[in-house]
Amino acid sequence: MEASTILEVEGLSKKYETKAGSVTAIDDVSFTAQKGQVTAVVGPSGSGKTTLLYVVGSLERPDEGKIEVVGQDILDQEVDLVKYRRENIGFVFQFFNLIPTLTAIENVMLPMDLAGVPPDEQHARATELLEQMGVGGRLLKSRTNKISGGENQRVAIARALANDPDVILADEPTGNLDTATGQTVIAILSELAHAEGKCVLMVTHDESIRRVSDRAFHMSDGRLSEISNHD
Amino acid sequence: MRTLHRGFRSFRRNYVRNLIVVILLFICLTFSMSMLAVKLAADSQVETIKQKVGNFGQIQVSSAYRLKQFEAERQQTAAERAAAARSLTTAQEFANRVQNLVPEKLANQFSTDQYVQTYDKALEANVTVPKLTNTNMQQLFQLRENRGTESFGNAGPPGSSMNQNSFSFAGNTNGSSASDFTTGAKKLTKGKFFTYQDYKDSNPVVIIEKNLAADNDLDVGDTIEAQVSGSTGSGSTIGLKVIGIYETVEAQQQSQSSGSSTPNVNPAGNVFYAPLTVVQKLNATPGYVELGAYYFDSVDNTAALKAAFKTDAKGTGGKYELATDISDYQAIADPLIKARNTSVIGLAGALGACVLIILLAMIIIVSGRTRELGVLKAIGSTDRQVIGQFAVEILCICLVAIILAMGVTAIIGQSMGNWLLPKAQTATTSQQQNQGGPGFFGGPGGNNTSLYKEGSRFTRNTAQSEPAAKLNVVYRGSLFLYGILILIGVSFIGMAIPVFWIIRLRPARVLSME
Repeated sequence: MEASTILEVEGLSKKYETKAGSVTAIDDVSFTAQKGQVTAVVGPSGSGKTTLLYVVGSLERPDEGKIEVVGQDILDQEVDLVKYRRENIGFVFQFFNLIPTLTAIENVMLPMDLAGVPPDEQHARATELLEQMGVGGRLLKSRTNKISGGENQRVAIARALANDPDVILADEPTGNLDTATGQTVIAILSELAHAEGKCVLMVTHDESIRRVSDRAFHMSDGRLSEISNHD
Repeated sequence: MRTLHRGFRSFRRNYVRNLIVVILLFICLTFSMSMLAVKLAADSQVETIKQKVGNFGQIQVSSAYRLKQFEAERQQTAAERAAAARSLTTAQEFANRVQNLVPEKLANQFSTDQYVQTYDKALEANVTVPKLTNTNMQQLFQLRENRGTESFGNAGPPGSSMNQNSFSFAGNTNGSSASDFTTGAKKLTKGKFFTYQDYKDSNPVVIIEKNLAADNDLDVGDTIEAQVSGSTGSGSTIGLKVIGIYETVEAQQQSQSSGSSTPNVNPAGNVFYAPLTVVQKLNATPGYVELGAYYFDSVDNTAALKAAFKTDAKGTGGKYELATDISDYQAIADPLIKARNTSVIGLAGALGACVLIILLAMIIIVSGRTRELGVLKAIGSTDRQVIGQFAVEILCICLVAIILAMGVTAIIGQSMGNWLLPKAQTATTSQQQNQGGPGFFGGPGGNNTSLYKEGSRFTRNTAQSEPAAKLNVVYRGSLFLYGILILIGVSFIGMAIPVFWIIRLRPARVLSME
């Protein structure tokens, strides 16, 4: 593994059993993602992008393959996956997946709360992150169902950063946003990679996003191939 | 603490949904708690009744035997009976005398049963005291004379061995435990009671009535001569030392309350109280008693006692019976038991409804928050943390519901009790009626511990009736404890759904369902 490689995936496969038979979601996928870079995986719907993201994020277990994050084999049976997710992974979803009964700041504080961070620290960091994302002031204490989609996604990004993970996994982060807001969100994620040294792995069907990525892959029928990130 | 905080916050934020569940639970829990309150009250009152009624029994000659005896005598003419009486040997005469009495040995044997707590033996006999006048009987004789019927002078009414020197002698093993004294109908005003030791030693002592003592110029320390039944000549009397004088409280009260200026007829007077062994001597029936009376631990052991008695009385041909006051107990306790049984059914139904509500509510709540669960797991929440959060939320729902339910139960509990208590319940029967025995001894009170196990034969006055059962549904500590148990139980059951759901939930599957 190179010094800057944070994520290394090798020979990853995943099949689902359906009534119609076995469906291959990921087929022998191998790739690496580096610190300080945005890695984009583009492809049509149903190509296996989200499954790949969930497998890397340890929400799904692959049938075969190897995943190393910061040099640790996360498929090792002795690895505490909950702890792994909490410390190393930040998720950003298409539909934000914020807790509607909580305020913006409470949503950001939640991962820290689960990790046992003292309340004062939680509050200070959450405030800082939200202000960094441009969701400060009165929005801090607004319920997430009372703020716009773009603001929600920024809150979601702030939540993903709450425990300062090395890897940000973004699943169609602009899929539910208008073009302008989507561009802002992409800019924030790029900034996180380039300025803060995060490894951002983004899966999307939006071909234009590959242009703002540092590396790009194309996924089709579960197979992954590296493509140019330029037109 | 964080889990607690998150759970409480979630409970607060989902208030509309939770309020609906709280209301539904509150209704069912109120019904449950009311039923429970009624059950606890009924249980408590049944136990109280058990301590007072249903734990008394007495061994006596059976009514069936008496009837059989009566039928046999009815077959004979008066001449045949007189001839038979003349031809009796001494042994036959004794057998005749004791045929309506119970062998003391049988009474003693039964007293050793494990359930018997106290017992006494009693014998009542008509005894002639030649130098005293029975003022009650004298009035009766005077009445007969005034009506112009045949004059029988000093002799009693025709066909009777009674005369104006006849007195009723009541014997038991301890004077202070005679029911006349324990119920307050009679009161010792001077001297002392005879004791268990007097009974054991056959001490010739007696307690007499105040007016009788005054009429006959008797006082404590004097001696009266009483005739031994069927005995003549020298040695046919026993000198009895007066050790106590009593007054008849009930008769005085009647006289005072009526405001009458007529002389007190003192209907309960002219009864002598003496040790059982002395009365047995005077009646010439040593080793026999009229009845053995027993307090046992509980009405619940009536069947066991009946079985024990059957064994003890084996070979007597059913001549003796053990009569208990179980029917009195049933008359008083049955409405309460019925109310309790109904409340138990109601309680079970209401708790079942509570469980159903909490289960259905949790299915709806959890299925509506599947995404939230998936997100929580995805961002690093352990199963325990998620379950804890839901547990707190459910506990809050149940806690609010049960606090409200307890409050309302305190208000409506009595109404529920009244509603459940059968309307047509009365309990005015007395033990006297059910037992058929004479009633002048009774009540616990003795201090001796050997034969006499602190207690006595006891019967109640026929006028004394049990109060009708009333269910007093009071808020007691145990109800609060049961409430907490119900709270924990319902919450625990309510938790089953989220726990199952959370453990099985795969966040990837949930998050994929956009």
